Amino acid sequence: MGQLSLKNVVKTFGDFEVVKGVSLDVHEGEFVVFVGPSGCGKSTLLRMVAGLEHTTSGDIVIDGKRVNDLAPVKRGIAMVFQSYALYPHMSVYENIAFPLRVEGAPAKEIRKKVEEAAAILHLENRLDQRPGNLSGGQRQRVAIGRAIVRQPEIFLFDEPLSNLDAALRADMRIELTRLHKQLGATMVYVTHDQVEAMTMADRIVVLNGGYIAQVGAPLTLYHKPENTFVAGFIGNPRMNFMPVNVLSVSDDGITVDFQGQSLTIDVDVPADRRAALVGSQVSLGVRPEHISLGAGDATMALTPTVVEHLGQLTIGYATLPGHEENFCFVLTGTQMIEDDRAVNVSFGAGDCHVFDADGQAFERKIDMSAMTPPVSL
Amino acid sequence: MARKFFKSSETSIMINRYSWRELIGIYCGIAVFLFFMLAPFIEGFLVSLKPLAQLFSSPYSFWPENGSFEAYRTMWISVPSFGRYIFNSLLISVVSTIIVLILVVPAAYAFARFRFKGMALVLGAFLAVSMFSGAVLLIPLFRLMRTLGLLNTYYAMIVPGAAFLIPSAIWLLRTYMMRIPPELNEAAYMDGASQFYTFRRVILPIARPGIIVVAIMTFIGAYAQQFIFALTFNSKTEYMPLPVGLFAYFGKQEVIWNELMAASFVGIAPAMVIIFFLQRYLVGGLTAGAIKE
Repeated sequence: MGQLSLKNVVKTFGDFEVVKGVSLDVHEGEFVVFVGPSGCGKSTLLRMVAGLEHTTSGDIVIDGKRVNDLAPVKRGIAMVFQSYALYPHMSVYENIAFPLRVEGAPAKEIRKKVEEAAAILHLENRLDQRPGNLSGGQRQRVAIGRAIVRQPEIFLFDEPLSNLDAALRADMRIELTRLHKQLGATMVYVTHDQVEAMTMADRIVVLNGGYIAQVGAPLTLYHKPENTFVAGFIGNPRMNFMPVNVLSVSDDGITVDFQGQSLTIDVDVPADRRAALVGSQVSLGVRPEHISLGAGDATMALTPTVVEHLGQLTIGYATLPGHEENFCFVLTGTQMIEDDRAVNVSFGAGDCHVFDADGQAFERKIDMSAMTPPVSL
Repeated sequence: MARKFFKSSETSIMINRYSWRELIGIYCGIAVFLFFMLAPFIEGFLVSLKPLAQLFSSPYSFWPENGSFEAYRTMWISVPSFGRYIFNSLLISVVSTIIVLILVVPAAYAFARFRFKGMALVLGAFLAVSMFSGAVLLIPLFRLMRTLGLLNTYYAMIVPGAAFLIPSAIWLLRTYMMRIPPELNEAAYMDGASQFYTFRRVILPIARPGIIVVAIMTFIGAYAQQFIFALTFNSKTEYMPLPVGLFAYFGKQEVIWNELMAASFVGIAPAMVIIFFLQRYLVGGLTAGAIKE
């Protein structure tokens, strides 16, 4: 129980199409994170699953049953809001008990369930207080308590941590992961914070402009992004893209000309596309963290305009000729480089990504099994 | 220097600190306005303490000589049914307020939360209606009351009174209810609550300060405006409210000024008590902690 399917779901507000046909299967007990820039439709999608927004077309199916026209309670879901949405005039106890009171559950059962929920969320000593007297983290826990007390099969979270400060957010992230393990329920989580997505998700759904850009395990998205959008969105600072010309294509991958150096990148190119590719321009993607000082497979001379020293990392930004975006590189440790002084940096061919003119990636031939932890479903 | 005037000067934030010149200016300003507003009341109170003969003495003495509260006793004898007038006034105001609240609270909620066709039009119409004073509509209202057979009853004063107070009450309460975060409605909906359950258990308790403000405004409004409706739609002495009742002190020969003033103060007293009582429930910050702003 707790299996959710979206079938070609579309949502329009007037003439404006927000969600443009999303199909997705969420397995039972899975932690799925919707991530994307603001306005990509991720919250709208979640609100449709919740039953707060009407679905323009397409089907929302929970446990094999079409629920488009059912009220949220009948769908067996609960939702945690970004703004907590606690009832300010009620005690923490009454806030958590609210869904049970609506059901008309007997007082004894309500007490038992509320106390269970409070124990899970470490709120036992706060039950008599009003939300106004609680800290942000505690308020969010009360909101979660109100969701879990009804024991739904699917939990929906709408950016639940974005109102908390950084330290608290890290704590709550761990707490939520623990909660997911403890309850074993399906969770759908919306965020714009890729750290939350990468750390908590079993699978991430990257949304862009109302479409799904890619669905996959966090590390798959990092190592094998299917397009430039996902490649740029996952990873911080974002991936550097550089236009390069294709010299040749073979079973060993694509050989490109990078600033006069010939570089062979080990990607899979379908045989029928090889001939057309030679001589054309493609995008070479390199993550800032894969760039190191000194010589390598591909070496380039840069003059960073800004250098940020974080102690643990050294981040440099340089402008490339004929390029609007900054070229960014992240070096581990404290590196003695300065702005406005030329340095030689390099990257390995094995760390490169190649994208065609449409921004679609050629699949990298890397061994994901060595990188992905075993998935337990 | 300013420290002497302002106890918390050291702890108050910079923007609230004033020099002693500014403080003197502020208090002088307050004194002038207070005197301007309260002068009639002070004069009225002093008159009520004086014996009638002294009121017409020349030169006029502002302070009562051998003043007493005698008028507060004799006023009940000169107009024996004065208690009845106070009761009528309270009854009319209380019933009007209850009717207004019963109608306005759900209406304001609907106007604050739902979007429906013609909403702007209806709200605009309410605003337009409340621009007319009751006096303009007296004749049509009289005909209406006569047709309905309500003349010379309590209804004749309650119904138009309530009707004229509804539009402004809706506007007032709607503004308050719009400030209640809509997420609370969504959360309650997610928790399985019906519209009515949400309204009763979530919205009403949160809107309580707003409802009390509307109740006070309506009560005062009803207390003040009954004069004109009572004079026009009612000719029975036993239904007369306080403002008309005060007229009983205007005798054929003379006006018993000191008793009239005493009666005015006694007549206001019950209303003041009710308003003080309601004001205790005017607690702010009830939505604290509902959402993160």
